[in-house]
Amino acid sequence: MNIKITDRWLRDYLDTEATPIEIQKYLSLCGPSVERIYKVDDDFIYEIEITSNRVDSASVFGIAQEAKAILPMFKKRTNLKLNPLKKYKFSLLDKVEDKLDLKIKILDKTICSRFTAIILDNISIKPSFDQIKKRLTHVGIKSINNVVDISNYLMVALGQPVHVFDYDKIGKKTMIMRLSKKGETIVTLDGKKIILPGNDIVIEDGEGKLIDLCGIMGGLNSAIDNKTKRVVLFVQTYNKTFIRQTTMTTGQRTVAATYFEKGLDEERVEPTLVYGVELLKKYAHGQINSRLYDIYPNPYRPRRVDINNALIDRLIGVIINKEKIIEILENLDFSVQQKKEADQLIFQVSVPSYRQHDIHIPEDLIEEIARIYGYHRLPSRLSPPAIVVQDDKLNRMFKIQQKIKYFLKHLGLNEVINYSMIAKKTINQLNLSPKNFLKLSNSISEEIEYLRISLIPSLIRNLENNSGKKEILKFFEIAKVYLPQKNNQPDEIYHLGIAVNTDFFDLKGIIESLLNELNINYRFEIDKQSNELKVLINDQLAGILKKINQYFIGEIKLEILAKNFKLIPNYKPINPFAIIKLDLTLELSEINNFARIKKISFQTSKFLEKIELINLYKNRASFRFYFASDKKNLTEEEAKSELKKISKNLSF
Amino acid sequence: MDEINSLKLKFEGELKKINSLNQLLNLKIKYLGRQGLINQLTKKIKQIPLDQRKIFGQKINDLKKTIFQYLEKWEKNLSLKEKKEVFIDKTLPGKKYPKGSLHPLTYIIEEIVEIFEKIGFVRLSYPEVEWEYFAFEALNMPKGHPARDDFETFFIQAKENKKYGKMLLSPHTSSGQVREMLRVKSQPPIRMINIAKCYRPNWDATHTPMFHQFEGLCIDKNINISHLKGTINYFVKEFFGKEREIRLRPFHFQFTEPSFEIDVSCGVCQGKGVINQNNKCKVCKSGWLELAGAGMVHPNVLKAGGIDPKKYSGWAFGFGPERCLMMREEVKLDDIRILYENDIRFLEKF
Repeated sequence: MNIKITDRWLRDYLDTEATPIEIQKYLSLCGPSVERIYKVDDDFIYEIEITSNRVDSASVFGIAQEAKAILPMFKKRTNLKLNPLKKYKFSLLDKVEDKLDLKIKILDKTICSRFTAIILDNISIKPSFDQIKKRLTHVGIKSINNVVDISNYLMVALGQPVHVFDYDKIGKKTMIMRLSKKGETIVTLDGKKIILPGNDIVIEDGEGKLIDLCGIMGGLNSAIDNKTKRVVLFVQTYNKTFIRQTTMTTGQRTVAATYFEKGLDEERVEPTLVYGVELLKKYAHGQINSRLYDIYPNPYRPRRVDINNALIDRLIGVIINKEKIIEILENLDFSVQQKKEADQLIFQVSVPSYRQHDIHIPEDLIEEIARIYGYHRLPSRLSPPAIVVQDDKLNRMFKIQQKIKYFLKHLGLNEVINYSMIAKKTINQLNLSPKNFLKLSNSISEEIEYLRISLIPSLIRNLENNSGKKEILKFFEIAKVYLPQKNNQPDEIYHLGIAVNTDFFDLKGIIESLLNELNINYRFEIDKQSNELKVLINDQLAGILKKINQYFIGEIKLEILAKNFKLIPNYKPINPFAIIKLDLTLELSEINNFARIKKISFQTSKFLEKIELINLYKNRASFRFYFASDKKNLTEEEAKSELKKISKNLSF
Repeated sequence: MDEINSLKLKFEGELKKINSLNQLLNLKIKYLGRQGLINQLTKKIKQIPLDQRKIFGQKINDLKKTIFQYLEKWEKNLSLKEKKEVFIDKTLPGKKYPKGSLHPLTYIIEEIVEIFEKIGFVRLSYPEVEWEYFAFEALNMPKGHPARDDFETFFIQAKENKKYGKMLLSPHTSSGQVREMLRVKSQPPIRMINIAKCYRPNWDATHTPMFHQFEGLCIDKNINISHLKGTINYFVKEFFGKEREIRLRPFHFQFTEPSFEIDVSCGVCQGKGVINQNNKCKVCKSGWLELAGAGMVHPNVLKAGGIDPKKYSGWAFGFGPERCLMMREEVKLDDIRILYENDIRFLEKF
């Protein structure tokens, strides 16, 4: 959460020689991050980020407490001028006779860790005193009237949200705090009617009417208005889990809720209430006219965390002397006892109430010591070397990916990275069934609902989206696909997808040169059912090439390439004997295709080294046959007779 | 007979004066053409006594052959000479070869991996489709913990696992931390880098529902904060430049204690927060840019990975390659979504 405070307000509590700029710099290094600072009128505004574990510091006084611990480390003399936790005690409250009454019942012991309330009479509602109004405006809170402003002022000053009811609007002068039933309704101060999901902390007035959605927002029916004369000042701490659940499910994300949902300090209720009474007396002519209601069944007993010297040194990496450690902890209001045990020094640290939700284990204290000491004071070291064995399969996988990417780039292809999720529409267009895909249960867009099992749909979209932008498009992507498994995580395997808008032999040529580059033996085979071209490596189906609409797309399983690729190919000594080249023109057809020609030719002649396509006109193809022997020079006549045999075997 | 000899001498004399193929062609026509000097001489055979005609004919043929050879030789020489003199515009472009492109993130990831491999880290990979347990519980974030809010998450329609909870798309690479501890059978050392796709339900100019994260994890005996600081410092100087500085700020993460945010000094204003004396730098926050989250591995996370926190300690960090790309001075990206739109006009630039 982010808060705003002002410099003058901070200096109500803090006496320091540090300038606002210094405060910004030093707090950011050692404590809450002061993201921005700017001047308004005669004051400075600090915008501060408070991490979720430090809601105790989310107030003017909370920042003063941090500053008191941090600034002295930068040799800036700093003291607390005023400590409201020590000053504002219940003992300051006037005792009155002629009391007004409030009946209080808490029906569930787990919902409210401390309940306080007091009634003030003789209130006069009017605009706020200038300074309060100005400060609230500076921190971004709209001024309403003196009483409402005081409740907001208390929250910003001390970090404890408070509520004020109009006493006369509470039907039976009764407050029953309980968990809501599902479907109960309340109209909150902002005029919204809220249908409660159930198990929300609420207050009922004894007549079945809800007057407060606790920790989140008060009810409209008991709100302060211009005629209000008597008020209930109401300060509590709640079970954070309920508050959080209610604010999330109702969508009422109020500032008060962001405090309560993190868990507040029961001990701070007392100074907040007493300070509140002081302000209401001073600025709204209020007079106490009831006894103090304070229900606090389990008062905080300081937690003790023990930490030994050795662990501090081990995790921080430098030795901080014990006097410094104690000074740091005490400046943060921890109290410290030392104990010698064997040759170790143990610090027995007792945790102040407002740090109870944050400090549990020795490492939590080490963070406190290290940050206040200053991370900037720690040396920079590289971690000591160690040998860690990487999985060989994975190693090959990353290596081959990089090789393939650069190779395809140099062939002129463009790499794309697509979202792993695709739209149902895209799946349907390709006649696939969404049932075979994993589906997100809370997607934010129809475009990204199903996890890819193939890269093809995305690549087709890439071609479609770019049509018209460039004439020739050649894309590739290397990414995981997610193949659903029964009752388990999906198989996540890497695929390579290549898509072009040119022609089939462009695609096939890219794939052939890639496989050659990787020194992989492969062969192609036509799938009789789909008429797609299959790529086989070691007789394993490694991928397919196909035409979809006007596009040509290939998809290959990367694992098979990773397994079979060779950095250095097999080398045979160069054949010293002559090679005879002979040409032959053949008519191609479905039954006499090149696959057959190749197969029969090599079966026929043991001297055949390779066949090259040199010309293609319609279905007439001229091939060049290379003949050679590794034992002697073949004569032209011998080669011709080989070709004759081949030719004969090729005829039907 | 003398006529033949003098014609030969005449030819040789004229040949010497020739400097171009054109002149040579004229000379050829003059001697060897149909009306050429040779043919004219041949016609004179009738005036020769019968017994000498044979020799005369032979001599003319010899001369013809010689002239022919001369012409051929000169033609070759001249054409070579002339070819050399043809104007070649060397400022014209060379032969065009294809130039494809790689996605900018590929370059960034490659560089990150190289930098860390030099100091002994190995790249690993863990599932993107994960169980709640590894994404949260194992990282010290029990059910209902508000810290889980920071990692808004996509869930998958699938049967819940009794032990590990719901299936989800991992919102961070940290889910790989405990998996790596289990991979080494809870026996450090660990020096892991893990770069992977992560997913969170946000989609605007600064967020995409899929993005990359880069996780570093180091676990061993006596690992402390100074090692984390040193490693990040090394990376920043290698990746962004020697002049860049880092700072660690206190922060909070459930899975590290202590926790930090890591800032790197701004490359635009050189960490001053101000450009041209008085103008506030628009790129950074008071001279610093947020780079990463980091911290010392929380004892509960070590325990979840079966590692004894009394014996071992470690650090971890995580940051975004996309952000690293945007923070490079060469790149001016105003909308992160373009990274995944795959517009050819964008891709071609890399």
